[in-house]
Amino acid sequence: MQRRTFLATLAAGLAPRLTWAAIGAPAFLAAGKRGEDFFLHGLSASGASLFQIALPGRGHAAAAHPTRAEAVAFARRPGTFALVIDCATGATRHRLTPPEGMQFNGHGAFSRDGTLLMTSEVVAETSEGRIGLWDTANYSRLTDWPSHGTGPHEIKRLADGRLAVANGGIRTDPVDRAKLNIAEMRPNLTLLSEDGALLDQIDLPDLHQNSIRHLALQGDTIAFAMQWEGDPAEPVPQLGLWTPGAAPRLCTPPEAEAFTMQGYAGSIAATPDRVLITSPKGGAVMFFDASGAHVATHHRPDLCGAAASGGAFTVTDGQGAVWLADDNGLVPLADGATQWDNHLVALT
Amino acid sequence: MPTTPASQRPAPRPRALRSTGWCLAMALVSLPATADTAAVVQDHILPGFTSFAEATQSLADIQTCEPDSLRPAFHAAWDAWMQVAHISLGPAEKDGRGLAVLFWPDAKGSGWKAQRALLESPPAADAMAQQSVAARGLPALERLLYPTEALPSDPCPLIQATADDLAATADGLAQDWGAFGALMQTAGTAGNDRFLTPDEATQALFTQLATGLEMLADRRIGRPLGSFDKPRPDLAEAHASARSLRNITLSLTALRDLALTLDPDSPKTQSAFDHAIALADAIDPQIDGLADPQTWLKWEILQQAVRTTRETAIAELGPALGVELGFNSQDGD
Repeated sequence: MQRRTFLATLAAGLAPRLTWAAIGAPAFLAAGKRGEDFFLHGLSASGASLFQIALPGRGHAAAAHPTRAEAVAFARRPGTFALVIDCATGATRHRLTPPEGMQFNGHGAFSRDGTLLMTSEVVAETSEGRIGLWDTANYSRLTDWPSHGTGPHEIKRLADGRLAVANGGIRTDPVDRAKLNIAEMRPNLTLLSEDGALLDQIDLPDLHQNSIRHLALQGDTIAFAMQWEGDPAEPVPQLGLWTPGAAPRLCTPPEAEAFTMQGYAGSIAATPDRVLITSPKGGAVMFFDASGAHVATHHRPDLCGAAASGGAFTVTDGQGAVWLADDNGLVPLADGATQWDNHLVALT
Repeated sequence: MPTTPASQRPAPRPRALRSTGWCLAMALVSLPATADTAAVVQDHILPGFTSFAEATQSLADIQTCEPDSLRPAFHAAWDAWMQVAHISLGPAEKDGRGLAVLFWPDAKGSGWKAQRALLESPPAADAMAQQSVAARGLPALERLLYPTEALPSDPCPLIQATADDLAATADGLAQDWGAFGALMQTAGTAGNDRFLTPDEATQALFTQLATGLEMLADRRIGRPLGSFDKPRPDLAEAHASARSLRNITLSLTALRDLALTLDPDSPKTQSAFDHAIALADAIDPQIDGLADPQTWLKWEILQQAVRTTRETAIAELGPALGVELGFNSQDGD
């Protein structure tokens, strides 16, 4: 808090838009709950909180501006607002509201130069997916694109500007999140051009109840994490790898670990030679190599947030701990009273 | 039974304050982290896994393949497993050993497919551990002792190998619980990276209670229950050995023991369990009776009672123990 006050003072006296480096170069953003209150935190590489900013309700994921110390915090689905937060001062700079009849769906991504924010959205009544475009100069709404699927969740910008969209396939009730089309759901993974044109798309006809929800990038390959909505007694993969132009590869753990993740991957992160998925329901993380072969499993209840930074993986859990994760195990970095929420976002 | 929605429950982690005091007190006398964790480990988990290891060894020691001679020991082994089947954390997670004891439900029938091949060329007992988990454990033995179709060859070598393998798995679980139990009882002490605080061990056990009741309602009861128009008694656990309802009752009594060991002063939870157990006792154990609408309704009422028991236990034990279910695992996104 002292630091925040100091920073606020500093910010007030200087140009209003500081860079991430100027506020202590946090490595990650994470939403969390402490007592009955919700916050967005900036975390150091060693898991220490560098700043915390109060949120009006439970956060889901955040998107970090590539240079400015500015984060967009998304509420849980169905989201009627997102907050653009000045991480130097803690001030809410803008409150983004989707157009009438639309809802935010949990995630967003900035263009590489930071001039555009893209948000995953649904038409509330039908869950038809849209990608909202915002001008980050003043966070005005520019337009939106079709996401070419139902219920888009995470979106990820590739290095060359293309946008990967996880269309989860699930139509939800606009008010209570009830899932309405489990029998007929059809998720897909869509690749859009920088201008929003449809470039490529894959789906999983044999696993159409495996909702594609979260994404990580490994070079030109899009790693995608899934959540199974079918019979929980069926062993299904939670991870797939797709290099556009080739067929997707599904990554299956050994038979004895077929149910470790309980059909549910909550977050995904990748380095050049490893992909990690977390399962809070299964209380586990799994490592796979770049070919999709299972490497290791580690257990810890309620793990969910995951990010890769500097070639290493950091994961967070709902019990308040931050961990370094590698093939050999989990090493605690920090532990406190803040329960870390679904996602850990790397600032790279 | 009155229950409280999550949003109205008392604030989570009130125990943070309490456990600071506990921590200091315990550190001084170097006793286990919290009384509830120690009680569950010492009085519920360790004796349970020891009994299971003994029961499976007794089964493996029988030197005949005559089904009638093996069946009583087979039932005793499954009875013993029901005392700890809900303890899925720790040793049971390692190498899929929980699945190697009880691979159920087997939605694709992969266990029998694998066993048919093994009947043709039976593996040595120590090679069973390398076989598919679906072809091992209690359901695998059940398919050999209560075959629903003619077996293609003499099952004797596979019965012995499967029983020996099960005993070895059970012995491994009991042995590993020694070290893992110590880890739980030293939760929050320096160097314990598995349980960073005393509350984490309590929360892990509380989660096993909630998950066990969920699994009971959704799977052991839910799968055979199917729908009113389409009951599926054929999908019941242990259908061939006619112990489906017995497993449900044993699971309820074991989970009641876990709950009351975690917090002996839980009158609402105890009453909810007692009610569910009375309902189960009043059902005809003939699982195929589910095709009868009256019986089907009794099963559905039992399922609701198990779900109510879960909600009651969460609402009563959670605040008393100062823990709640997983922040992320309960959310879903």
